[in-house]
Amino acid sequence: MIVSGVDIGSLSSEAVILKDGEMMSYSIIPTGADTQKAARVCMQGALEKAHLQFEDLSATVATGYGRISVPFATRTITEITCHARGAYRLYPRTRTVIDMGGQDSKVISIDTEGRVVDFVMNDKCAAGTGRFLEVMAGALEVDLTEMGERSIRGKNGIVISSMCTVFAESEVISLIAAGCSKNDIIRGLHEAISKRIFTMAGKLRVERPITMTGGVAKNRGIVDALRRLLKTEVLVPEEPQIVGALGAALSAWRFASGGREQ
Amino acid sequence: MFEGIKRGLLSKLVGGLLRSGVAITLAKGGGKWSYRKENRAFGLWLDFLFDNMKRGFRRERSVAWISAFTPSEIPYAFGLHPILPEVIACLAAHLSVSQHAISVAEQNLYSADLCSFYRCAAGLALGGYLPEPDLIISTSHLCDGAHRFFHNMSHLFGCDHYLIDVPYGSDGRAHAYLVDQLRDVADAIERRTAHHLDGERAAEVLELSNRTRQVMLKINELRRAIPSPFPGSEGMSYVLGMNFSAGGSELGLAFFRALHGVVQGRVNRGEGVIAEEKYRLLWLHHIRPYYPNTIFDILERRGAAVSFEEANHIYWEAMDPRHPLEGLASKMLSNRGCGPIERRIEAILEMAEKYRADGAIHFSHWGCRQSCGGSHMVRDVMRERGIPTLVLDGDGADIGNYSEGQTRTRLEAFIEMLG
Repeated sequence: MIVSGVDIGSLSSEAVILKDGEMMSYSIIPTGADTQKAARVCMQGALEKAHLQFEDLSATVATGYGRISVPFATRTITEITCHARGAYRLYPRTRTVIDMGGQDSKVISIDTEGRVVDFVMNDKCAAGTGRFLEVMAGALEVDLTEMGERSIRGKNGIVISSMCTVFAESEVISLIAAGCSKNDIIRGLHEAISKRIFTMAGKLRVERPITMTGGVAKNRGIVDALRRLLKTEVLVPEEPQIVGALGAALSAWRFASGGREQ
Repeated sequence: MFEGIKRGLLSKLVGGLLRSGVAITLAKGGGKWSYRKENRAFGLWLDFLFDNMKRGFRRERSVAWISAFTPSEIPYAFGLHPILPEVIACLAAHLSVSQHAISVAEQNLYSADLCSFYRCAAGLALGGYLPEPDLIISTSHLCDGAHRFFHNMSHLFGCDHYLIDVPYGSDGRAHAYLVDQLRDVADAIERRTAHHLDGERAAEVLELSNRTRQVMLKINELRRAIPSPFPGSEGMSYVLGMNFSAGGSELGLAFFRALHGVVQGRVNRGEGVIAEEKYRLLWLHHIRPYYPNTIFDILERRGAAVSFEEANHIYWEAMDPRHPLEGLASKMLSNRGCGPIERRIEAILEMAEKYRADGAIHFSHWGCRQSCGGSHMVRDVMRERGIPTLVLDGDGADIGNYSEGQTRTRLEAFIEMLG
């Protein structure tokens, strides 16, 4: 049986195709302004990689903030449940999932069977999200993909006091004007974001092991800062950005097979 | 489009023409027509609401503004006409006029961090959309913003403000302290106005309140039925409004009797709020968002009924009509939101068991210390008892603090967690 999951996030969209429970292919594209188009293009990309047609799919589960606008979805499930299922599939001992996505961040507690038992999300503020990092990279004129490595090369000492995306951008510009090194500023930004996630996680009983998912998990600087704050190893999947779509595909598998666990 | 026209029309009626008796009559008729509810209680609530405003503007009696947790029996016992600005702020939010009122308040230096119900009420007051008070009575319990708001309003309108300090404890000393204050307030009102605490009238008011309480208890018993016979969204709107405003009035008793009939009928017919009830939820805290939102629709579409609300829990005992001040003091002190959080949690756990709750939603209202302060402690205890609890951050009256997408994700993830 072939099923798929599609995760329509605010910045990027991902699709995963499973055959008999094993991943056949995945695709990642920028979401853009048209979420329906993003869902179609993303799914088409994953299907092409797997040499499949849409008709080959038994079920598709949509997740992410744009889940309600995926016309071909068999059903929708929130990204909280999907990230938990995806992370549990990759690391069955996981008890806490930290998902840092484009517009929000979540800390999710899961039980020994991968079920969500509690969660917290950031409020409507963009601090601690991919969008925040993207804006800061723009202000610093640094490529987003370089941010993590540069933060590791930075030194301690610069404190970014504002976590409002707009005010932090002004603060960063002032620091550049004051002659601070970009790497030091980037490190300060990463530590500030990580502290925010650490504080959010404190609202739950964080149990180990911890798995980090979402696009921001590709940023080594954030992962390192979180490891230091949480004083524990943080597991990061090979491709953390597709964990939500993987969880959605696993849900589709469960749905199409009449509730059988995968 | 119809919805937009309805809201626009109602906004104009409420905003500009409320002082006119004709406009109030039209609004009442429009309200009944637009909702078309097979619910006599709802019609009685509209009667109560619009008559209350009309009489307030006509100043048939001295107008007493009271805070939501001030027992409404107090103004009725004095023969005063009660106006509850917080309840009117809920209505303003429902009719989508709260944003304008909030903007007026903020232009007049009310901080955006203050509870939006008080910002909204201040804006309505500053705009002249509320009947002017002759005196104001508020209490210190639960709502932190209340006494500051009412104090400011007493300056705006040049009237007396009586603040009743409800102590943290609930023992004999606390009771005596509260009774003394009520006596002082009664003496002051008698000195400063033509109104006095008539023993016979006070006894009648407390008798009415006790009879209303009995009916409310019966309704709450009926709400234990499976499937849930009455929607929590309505329990948190006009039912709660009447709970705050109508204790000790004939119309209040009539309203709750009618509501009892409605709920009894649904129980007899086995009618539930939703066709297939999968989950029963408790709504915690005294607030829900009143502006147009999709919260209860999202829950109901996923088979989750709000079976009961903490706000409609009857926490007080019947009052002795021969000793009104003592009875009213006991009523205030028995509020389970007063004192240590354990007292409130104990009541919530009782409700969870009584209404067989599968989960709970604790609404944490922006700027409200009472809800935000205790929410995670409540959640942790509920979780230990195996009752998943969602702390839903939001705002009751300011739609500017509402994000539909984020709220949807939280609610849907919570329902998925229950399943």
